[in-house]
Order: sequence, then C-alpha cells, then structure tokens
Amino acid sequence: MENSNTALVVGAGISGIRAALDLAESGHRVVLVERAPHLGGILSQLDRQFPTNRCGMCRMLPAFERDAASQACLRRGLFHERIDIRLSTQITALSGAPGHMQVSLRTAPNGVDARRCVGCGECAEVCPVVVPDPFNAGLTTRKAIYQPVPHDRSTGYVIDVQACTQCGVCASVCPTQAIQLAQDGRRKFHILVVDDELVVRDSLKEWLLAEGYSVRMAASGAEALEMLSGQPVHLMLADIKMPGMDGVELLQRSRQILPELCVLMMTAYATVETAVEAMKMGALDYLMKPFDTAAMMDKVAAVFQEQMAEQDESIAVGAVILACGSDYFDPRRGKNPYGYGTCPHVLTQLEFERLLSGSGPFGGALLRPADRRPVGKIAFLQCVGSRDLQSDADFCSSVCCMIAIKQARLARERGGAQLAATLFHMDLRTAGLPYQRWGEAACEQDQLRLVRGRVHSLLADPASGDPVLTWLGPDGQITGETFDLVVLAVGQRPAQGLAPLAEMTGLSLNPWGFVRTQAHSLVRTDQAGILVAGACAGLKDINESVIQASAAAAEAGRILHATGGTLSVAADAARTPPRDLSADPPRIAVALCTCDGALNAEGAAAALEARLNQDPCVSRIVFLNRLCTDDGWRTLVDGLNDPQANRILLGACRSDAFTPRLRALVAENGLPSQMVEAVDLRIYDREPSAASRQARVATDLAMAVARLKHAEPVRPPGVSVVQHALVVGGGIAGMQAALSIAERGYLVTLVEKQASLGGNLHWLRQTLDGADLTALLADTIDRVAHQPLIHVHLQTEVQSAFGQVGHFYTTLAPAKAAPHILEHGVTVLATGCGEASTAAYGYGTHAAVVTQKELEVRLADQRIDPQQLGAVVMILCVASREAPRSYCSRVCCPTALKQALTLKRANPATAVYILYRDMMTCGFSETFFTQARREGIVFMPYATDAKPRVTADATQGPCIRTMDSILGADVEIRVDLLVLATGLVPELPPELATAYGAQLDEDHFFRPADFKWRPVEALTAGVFACGCALSPRGVAESIATAQAAAQKAVGILRRPTIAPDAVTATVRRSLCSLCERCIDACPFGARALSPEQDQVLINPAMCQGCGACAAACPNGAAVVSNYSAGQMLAMIAEVVKCDV
Amino acid sequence: MVAAIEVHDHDLTAAFRTLSTAVLTLETIDAVFVPMRLPCGSAVMPTLVTDPAHLERIDPLAPSFALNAAKVVGQLTRNRKAGIGKIAVLLRPCEIRAFVELVKLNQGQTENILIIGSDCLGAFTNHDYFAFAQAKGEDASRIFYQSMLSGQEAVLEGINLSGACRACESFLPTGADLAVRLWGVATERHILLEAQTDKGAALLEKLQLPTGQVPSEREGVVHALVDQRTDYRDAMFAATAAAIGTLEKLAAYLSHCVNCYNCRVACPVCYCRECVFTTDLFDHDPLQYLSWAQRRGAVKLPTDTLFYHLTRMAHMSTACVGCGQCSNACPNGIDLMPLFRLVAHRTQGVFDYKAGEDLAAKPPLTQFKEDEFQEVVGIGE
Repeated sequence: MENSNTALVVGAGISGIRAALDLAESGHRVVLVERAPHLGGILSQLDRQFPTNRCGMCRMLPAFERDAASQACLRRGLFHERIDIRLSTQITALSGAPGHMQVSLRTAPNGVDARRCVGCGECAEVCPVVVPDPFNAGLTTRKAIYQPVPHDRSTGYVIDVQACTQCGVCASVCPTQAIQLAQDGRRKFHILVVDDELVVRDSLKEWLLAEGYSVRMAASGAEALEMLSGQPVHLMLADIKMPGMDGVELLQRSRQILPELCVLMMTAYATVETAVEAMKMGALDYLMKPFDTAAMMDKVAAVFQEQMAEQDESIAVGAVILACGSDYFDPRRGKNPYGYGTCPHVLTQLEFERLLSGSGPFGGALLRPADRRPVGKIAFLQCVGSRDLQSDADFCSSVCCMIAIKQARLARERGGAQLAATLFHMDLRTAGLPYQRWGEAACEQDQLRLVRGRVHSLLADPASGDPVLTWLGPDGQITGETFDLVVLAVGQRPAQGLAPLAEMTGLSLNPWGFVRTQAHSLVRTDQAGILVAGACAGLKDINESVIQASAAAAEAGRILHATGGTLSVAADAARTPPRDLSADPPRIAVALCTCDGALNAEGAAAALEARLNQDPCVSRIVFLNRLCTDDGWRTLVDGLNDPQANRILLGACRSDAFTPRLRALVAENGLPSQMVEAVDLRIYDREPSAASRQARVATDLAMAVARLKHAEPVRPPGVSVVQHALVVGGGIAGMQAALSIAERGYLVTLVEKQASLGGNLHWLRQTLDGADLTALLADTIDRVAHQPLIHVHLQTEVQSAFGQVGHFYTTLAPAKAAPHILEHGVTVLATGCGEASTAAYGYGTHAAVVTQKELEVRLADQRIDPQQLGAVVMILCVASREAPRSYCSRVCCPTALKQALTLKRANPATAVYILYRDMMTCGFSETFFTQARREGIVFMPYATDAKPRVTADATQGPCIRTMDSILGADVEIRVDLLVLATGLVPELPPELATAYGAQLDEDHFFRPADFKWRPVEALTAGVFACGCALSPRGVAESIATAQAAAQKAVGILRRPTIAPDAVTATVRRSLCSLCERCIDACPFGARALSPEQDQVLINPAMCQGCGACAAACPNGAAVVSNYSAGQMLAMIAEVVKCDV
Repeated sequence: MVAAIEVHDHDLTAAFRTLSTAVLTLETIDAVFVPMRLPCGSAVMPTLVTDPAHLERIDPLAPSFALNAAKVVGQLTRNRKAGIGKIAVLLRPCEIRAFVELVKLNQGQTENILIIGSDCLGAFTNHDYFAFAQAKGEDASRIFYQSMLSGQEAVLEGINLSGACRACESFLPTGADLAVRLWGVATERHILLEAQTDKGAALLEKLQLPTGQVPSEREGVVHALVDQRTDYRDAMFAATAAAIGTLEKLAAYLSHCVNCYNCRVACPVCYCRECVFTTDLFDHDPLQYLSWAQRRGAVKLPTDTLFYHLTRMAHMSTACVGCGQCSNACPNGIDLMPLFRLVAHRTQGVFDYKAGEDLAAKPPLTQFKEDEFQEVVGIGE
C-alpha cells in the first residue's frame, strides 16, 4: 500500500521549519502545524544570535529549487509549495504505524479571516482592551486584536479570545469585513449554573451574560437534570456542596444522560479534594470559591473555544516530527532569591532581549523599564532554575551562558564604553566551536567582567531601589555590589503541552519531562514513526537544533521511502513546460482588485487606467473585486482570458498572500514565473491625501509594468546530476551518512583509508550515560555490509578531485590496485578527528602520564588496574580553549566524568581529582557531574594564568601542584596516574576540501556555509561534512550530523537535473572584458573561467541569484535574470522625476 | 643598487637613448617600448621598437603626454596564452600606476615586461604642447627639461604644466622595476638608475654600467616639490568641491558635455571592452523619450549625461591615478581632472587604498568586509 508521502511536523519554531523545509526539498509533502498564531517560535523574539551578533534565519531557505519557496526574510513569513502551514493548530489524536498514520488536527478560530485581513491596523486602533504584550515579554502592551509578530505580514491580525470583550468595535471599522466576532456564537452557547445559593447563581449569571453567553440556572441537582434533558446545554457549572444531590452525584448522573457534557465543578477550599475526585470522574476542571472572575472567565472561554472549534480534521501522514520547543522556568517559583517580580530592576533574559530590540519598548534604547533611567551597570546571573537541585533541574540549559555573553555585547553596543557588564557564573559554557573565541572577545573588546560564584541573594537598596547583589567568591570572600539592572538566565522547562502530547502518543519522557530519545540517536523516540527535533528533547542552540531537525527529516524521509512514499518529482515533471516567448513582443494583461470600490475612490480608477494605458505594452486592464475570496479569484481566471497576453500584472491588497495561487496561475497560462508580477496596492496605508495615495498606487503599478516589459523570458539550461554520492571516511559519521543516503534509494561509495570501518569507535567502549559503543559499531558495520546500495572501498584514499555539484570526478587510489575515477553528484566529507598530541604536564617523560584515549584503551585491555590506583588527577583543557587552539573539544569533560566514575566505582578508595577550567557538561550530562561530586570525586578549578605544575619523578609517580582557591594556597597531590584531556584536532586534509570547493576554518575544521543556519554544508554547493570533520562532538551528535548531511545530499540527488531558478546570473560575452571581478565577487563559487580562458562560465545550480556579480561588473556583462539593469532603470525612470 | 649613465653636453635625451639601446641589445629583451617623436612632425607617441637604429627619435622628456600608454601596454600583454617576447617599457609614473590597476583587472600581465620608470618632469596639455613644439622646434624638449631641472618651474612662452601635473605629488616611478633618477641629481654629469625590484636588479647587472650614488640633496628637492604640488592640489580640491557641491552645481560643471565619451576612451583605467553607455541598455525605446518629456515637460537630449559621469566616478574612482587625460580629451574644455581626482582622493582615502601604488593590494570593491561602513549600510541599527 502506498503511503501519503506526507510528513507531519509539530511546531514551527526553527527546528520545525528546518525539518519541514528539508523534507520539502527532498520531494516530500509536509503539514507544518503550530499552536501559536505565528511562525518562528522563540526565535521570533530574538533578533540577533551569537556568535555573529546578527540574524541569519533566511539562510535556512532552499539553495536549490529556490523558486519553490519564498525568498525573503523568514521573520516575515514562509512559503513553500510542498509545505502546508497550519497556525493556531494542535494535534488532538494520533494513531497508526510508521508510513500509515492518522492524525487529527484542531485549529482554533481567531476571529479574523486571514485571507481578507489587509493588516491595516484600524481594528487595533479602536480596540478598547489593553493587555501586556507577550511578544515583548510583557514590557509593552497590545490590544485584544493584534499582530502576533509585528514584522510578520503573512499572518495578519488575530483576536486574543481570552482578552476580547466582544464589544464589536473592531468589526465595525474593518474595511474588508474580515472580522467575525464569536459573539453570536457565545449567545448560542448555553451555560447551566447549578448552585443552591441564590447570590452565587445571580452573580455568575451577571458575569456570564456580560461576556455574551446564554445562561440558565438551577437551584438543585434534580432541577439541573431536568433542564439537561430538555434544552441544549454546552457547559454546566456545578457546585459540589449542595443539599440533596451533591455536585459529584449530579456529575455522574448528568454524564449518563449526556456523556460528552463539559462540567466545571465549583468548590470552596475545604472540598478541593472532592473536586479532584470529580475530575477523575470526568469533570473538566474546577473553579475555586471565592471566584477569581478573570481566571474563571478564561476557563469558560477556553471551553467555549474548544466546543465551538471547527470539527477536527483528520489527515494521513507517514511520519511525525515533534518540534514543539520548550518553556522557561518561572523565577517567581520557590524561594525567589533574586526578587524577580518584587524588585522592578530584575529581568529575565527574554525580557532583556526584548528591551534591546528595535521592536521592543524603547526602540532598542537601553533604559530600565521601571523608571526609564539609562543603564550603566548590568549583572547577568546564570543558572536560575538550571543546574539547581532545589528547582528540580539537575541539568544545564545549554544556551544561557552564550545568550548572556551575547546580551552583554549587545548592551555594550547600545550603552557605549561606560556600560559595565558582569557575568556571574559557575562554569562559562562556551562549548560550540566558535563560542570560546566569542566569549574571549566579549571580555577583551567589550570589557565583560566574569565572576565565578553563585549570587546567593538580591536585595533592593532601601534608598534608591537599585538591586544589591551579595555573593561568595571562590576565595570564600563575601562581596556586595549595586547594579542598575539584573538579568536572570532562567533555565528551560519542557513545553507546557508536551506531557499531554506524550500521553496521547505514548512517548516516554526523561526524568525532567523532556522527550527521551533512543541510545545513540538524538531524533528517534521509543515510538516508531515519531521523531523529535529541537528543544523538546533537551535544550540546544540553533546550530544543534538545525542539525537535529535535518537529522529528524532524514529519518522521516527514510520512513516515508521505506513505506512506499513516492517523491513528488513525478508531479514536477508533469507540469507543462513554459511557453517560448523569446520572439513575442511584450503584452501585459493587468488585473486590479478594487477592494469593494476602495481603489476607485473619487474616480481614481479611470486616471489609473489612463496612466497604465500610456504604455502600448499594456494590452488590457480589468478591474475585479475581492480577489482574496475564492469567487473573486475565479473572476480573475476568467477575466484574464487573453491568449495574446504573455505577461500578467496583478494589483491587490497583500499580494504576498496570493503566492500559491499565483503560481497555479502561472502554470495554467504556461508562462515563465518571471512573467507574472503581483503588486501590493496598500490602499489602506495611511497617506497624507487621497491624491498622494492615487499617485503612489499608479507609480507602483507603472514600475511593475516597466519591470515586466523588460523581463527576459530565457533561462539557462539545467545542471545534470549523477545520482551517486561519495562519502569520504568510514567512521561512525561516514557510515551513518552512507546508510542514510542509501536508505533513501541512492548509490553511495564509501571510502576509508584504514583496513576496516569504524574510526574512533574501535577504541571507545561506551558513553557517559552507559550506551554500548562496541555494539553500535558492530551493528552499523553489519547494516553497511547488508546495504546493497553502498559500495565500500577500504584502504583507499582520494588522490585528486574536481568538478561541481551534480558532477564531481574523484580519483580513488586503493592501496593494492590501480587508481580509478568515480563520477558522483555530491560529496560528504567524514574524515573525523583524533586526539591532540601534547608535551605538556610531563607527558612522554613518565609512564603514569597518559591521555584520555590511552586511559580508555588501557582500562579496556586491563593494562591499568583500578585496584592499584591510590590517587588519580585528571587535567582538563590541556592546550585547549586558549590560543592557538581556542575552542572547546566538548567531549573531554564528559569523558573525564565517565572515566572518573569508572575508576571510583571500581575502587572507591581511589582519590580522583579533576582539575578543570569550566566543566562543560551541557544538557543532561550535568547529572553525571552531580553524581561524580556525590561519589567523592574532587573538582578543583584552575585559571590559565595559574596552571597546575607537574613534576614527574621516575620512582615516585607524578606530583601535581595546583592552587586551591578556598585555601588560597598551593596543594600538592602525588598520584599513580595523571590523565590529560588534550582535546580533539581535525583530520581533514586542506587539499581534499579545496578539491571540492570547500574551505577549512582557522582551526582546520570544515568551514560550513554558516555555523548556525547551514551547519553541515559548504558555501559551495554539493559538498557536505559530518561528524568531527565539522567540529568536535560526541557519538550521538556525530550521527545526527551524518543524518543531516545525508538529508541535504538527498535534496540534490533526488532529481536527474537541477533546473535553474528564475533569478540566476548569466554572462553577456560580447560585453565581457574578462576582468574576473565577478569570479572574485561570487560568494558561492558559481563562476569560473572556461578552460580556454576565453569566457566566464556560471553553474546555474550553484548560483543563488544574489547579484554580487552584477554589482561588481562595471558594464552590465554580468546579468541577473529578472533583475536586469534594463528592468531596474525602467523602474527607476518611473519614480525619479529629475533629469540625470 | 645604483648605476649611472654619463650625460654629455647637457643632452639627457641622449642618455635615455644610450639606456634604451643598451637594453634593446640585451639578448633577453625583444623590444623596447618608448616615447618617440614621429618622423612626420612634433608629435611624441609611444612606440614599440625592435631595431636600435629607430631609437634615434626617442624623446621621453618632451612635455608631451598625448595619451596614457598603460592601456597600450595592457594590449601588448593581456593575452594570457600567447607567449609574446620580453619587452622593456619606459613609462611615466602615472602610466605605471594605471598599468598596475589594469593588471589587477586582468587587462595586462607583468610576466613578460620590464618596467623602466623615470622621475617625471610633467607635461603640457596636448593643445599647449602643439603650440610649444611649433615655437621651439627641435629644441622644445631640451628647453623644457633644462628649465624644469634647474628648479624654475617657469612658464615658458606663457605655457605652464597641465593642471594634472601641477597637482601631481606622485611624480616618482613607484612600481617600476628600474627607476631613472632625475630630480636632485647632477644631470649635467649623469642620470642615475636604481633597481626597485629583483627583475630591475638583474637587468641593471646585465647592463654593466658604472655605479653611481644618489646625492643627499635629492631628498630635499623631492620633498619641496611634493609640498608645492600638494598645496596646489589641495587648493584645487577646495575650489572644485565648492563648484560641485550639489547635484545642480555638478550638472552645471558638466553642462557642456555632449556625450562623446572621449574622456572614457582617454581614461587609462576605464577598461570595459564596451562601455555600458554605448550598449543597448541606453539605446532607449523611442517612446521612452516622449514619455520622459511628457512627464517633466521637457527633456534634454542626449540624455543620461550626468548619469554617465556619476557612473564613471562610481566605477573608476578607486582606480583613478590622476593622469589628467580626461581633461586632455574633452573637446569642449570641461576640466574633468579636478573633479575625478577629488572624488578619487576621497574614495581611495576611505578605503585606505592608493591606486597603482601596490600590485599586491586588492582593489577595494573586490573585497567584501562584513563590518565596514555600518554608518552607511545601517546594519548596526
């Protein structure tokens, strides 16, 4: 049985968007649901990211088949022809096996018809309800009708049904009648109030009537039952304590009559337990007396929403990816030692982020929200609700250290040189490849002060109200200091809806409530067919979220493929090829939406028609109405029935919303996509006068006519693809990449220079959390051996290579045979890494000084016997995290914990000391740090300017002297074993990377196109890397990068030809002076000199249409189609009034 | 390494002839490229010479700068595949600078040429040189260089150096393999040769000339001249800035332009095979002119005049070497040099770049720096 070839992605934050785009790019269809009324998740509130201090979200958009998706700022919306986006939607049921699952979706109505809303904002102007704006973390207010994300024009306005009073003013001013209040609905919503006390019944009736509901009342259970059997009742509010039949009995009996009836119990404090019992019997919730009116009305409104929601829609999908994100710890909970909510100058990181934002409360000016005073001194407090057993958080939230550093740098940028930022931390976790340097730069360039220590309390200065922090330093000294502003790095918590979702789907959660994944996988859950991405399985930054999302997409794609899903490539091919227009003079058909006559105010339409008709290329102009509706659109399709027209111009409100329909129109008319243009007429924008509006609309349309007139119908030929991948390196990452590509049906050649597959897994036995790596290796090798599409070449190296995406030529040199050439379409580099060598701390002079790898190996082959060890010191960060190797190797801290725990458990008498700079136990590995301390392992921090000193004595074993900060003196430890964590260094030969057009970074790792947003691919198309060739990482993370790289590779391999997109660069040879500036300017390596050196060639698949070449070329020999100089000049001529 | 060539009878031209002949006679050199007086009159033009006998008419010190030879040297060398022979080229400093820019733009190669540069004494405008040569005949060049080198940059026959030369503070042949020293040198006895590159040193060695020494007073002479030229240049910049400060003023400054595009033909660094202003992009639709006229009431023809000059500034101001050939080439006497030098001075200053000075320095617009000009591009806010 064929499956639907559709995947469901739950959550449209960064992970969800990434996974959805990946699946769409590899030819699958996607339904992307999001509970919020907008896309982007938490990132919609974060303007800039570490470690670049800017946004790069748009870099997630497709690099191939760009025309299938929107090519604009992702914060303004997303479109992809194979992604069906459902906002304000949740899943309510899920069943079935992988490949054949049935999912129910429920969309909450938000009162505004999204297709008709033009985003003019008249409604919000008149709305009388003011509530705190969650977008600005409550620092500003908004109305009950609002835009969820101010810069996202794709969603329009929505109504906050909890806050809305149903007054109806908005509906009366809406120029497009887009608002349909639920008021009528509320009147049809019957609530039965059952209480023996008249005063309660009366006040409830009054409140509920004011909210617009219909209310009936009953004074007893018996009366209530009678009413239930007569008229329709949607909700019953039942008091628990009533004479005669009590509330619980009423509940039971009423549900016998009406099993679906919603019941809210009303209870005083004394009967709360009974209320809870009632909930077990089917009551929805309970309301506590005395009533909190607002809270009560919210609950009632929620039931109303739920009941009135449209029928759940059931869809068939093959796989599900959960990417529902996480929530924040509420610092008001518990003891609240930092006075959040009481001292007004204490903010959370999210609040501070909004404070710094241009769309925040003060336009980005750094002022204290409470008194608008400029900020001079800021304190950042880390680990509030993270790494804290008191708040049940024996985990690290992974991203807050970097966010604090970013915010300190941003604050400095805003506040200038007088701004002083202090970061209080336990360990500064800069564990991503470029993060260490960025943190160092924050200290050096922006004078960020780092203080190691946990602030124990915050008090407000009695006179000024300024927060005063008191902390205990590593030296045991108590220090106090006053700050202007304190920013709390509140930890993350599982998303609110995750637990019910897990219950519905049968997913297991880990002890902290996040989704539990299978061993060695970051994406597989214990439910086949359900994958996980992003923060709902543990907290991660963008880099890891994006990798994991692509990995989840790879797994989902594998399931769809394995269960018979067909790619929509066939559908692509079935499209009628565009008409050949090269010989036709331009004839433009113009269709304008009058929006119920608004366009024709004061007879403007005639003037507009006259202006456009000045151009003889305009062949016809039709005025239509309400293109936003299906009826209106039909009139357009009929009205444009002009076989001579070879270009179409559409003018309407929010033309961006028409993109999907416009594409269909293009296909129907057989026109190339650049021959159809839509103009947003913006007739509801505020303008000084009607005349100026008319003039502006006319100019906008004239510019579009000019652009269409000069549009060139030709497209360069496509690039053919050899549907075969090469994976270089047969470690765990390389094997996984090969498997993930082959499991999608494509040939893979896997090359390994050693005599066997496995790489570092040959000597690694298990991970910190006890997962068996030996079994993983055996299993993976077995799967590779049994995969007929993988050709393994052992003892083989890449001798040389050339070519470009779609067609590379690689010379493989086996050790025992003649070299031969392999032709392939994509390249995955999985060359791995090795342990760095060292000469520090007496290594090489004494047998008892070993590296982590040596300890691992010697423990395994029993050359080291834990029983013989009296004392062991482990020194972390040996020549790591400082110049020239200024990066964290990520694996050494967990390895040290693993080895220390192994030694300690084998022989509890062994004294184990770990000398560290910052313990990098991000995420859930933090719990092993806690365990290690519990089990008596001693952790001693050291600073780079006071490193431990080792004297190795051949007879006695090494002696380590190190500064103990609490004692304030050196301590001396004589040990039987000194273990050095030297970190990881890449093993990627530069000539190998450059042969494929990729580059290495300053540390000789593979340079990704963008560390965060495009983490596994080179800027040059068709070249990918995974595993430790990218940056240091553990086994599960390496596997995720391999899956991600494979997913990207499949996005290219899936079709025999990559068709060029509408916006692609070309060269006019007759004008070209061969100065090669365009070749230098092209960031994607898409341009090269021909072998004869007589012309500049472009690979249209690699070209991203950025236009850097056209800007560099002085005489227009470099042309970007659809953005030609002729088009641009003609458009400018329509607006510029003076002679030049 | 410094060598000397003797000067007899104050004839510096003869010393240059000696040098060129010696170079051409070397086995490794196939031709020399030098300014020569044409057989048919007083015009001095760059000439490719393979027969030493023709060097009789060499005239590198004539106050004539008919065209900037960088473009021609580019033509001689730009074909990457052809293995043309080795050529020694004798160029003015501003020609060397322009050539360096052309090499960066792949419009010329340095592999097969050897650049001999001379301290530049300056030149008259083309128009003035014709008059001067008419009046002085065979003696024109000698009168000119003796006057210049004696330190009296005096007006001869009411004719002064061209504006570009008077504002030129880069009159030493930076970038040449071999430099001929004239300023501050006892030119009545000898001219000096100094190797500035390995290539130059190798050549000088082969020439087997007597060694010489750069006199200590040269530095003072050069310094004084730089100061004098810089003062003139800055005064010129100030006057020009005042004259072009607004779009209207700029339009007035260029109002006599007839779109002949001679300035771009004369410009040594305007390297496009075909200027965009002569392509179909500006071959407007006939309807377009009428539509412009209708919209504004009147439109001047030919159109795009100011646009043309602004485009040239945008394209060439980072490569402008200040040779002044644009002014020389204008049939209507528009003094373009001060305008272009001013703009070039500012743009090059902004990028900390000096056109033609260093072959290794990448042209500013070929490099993308993410963090520059935030105040202009607005990324910071």
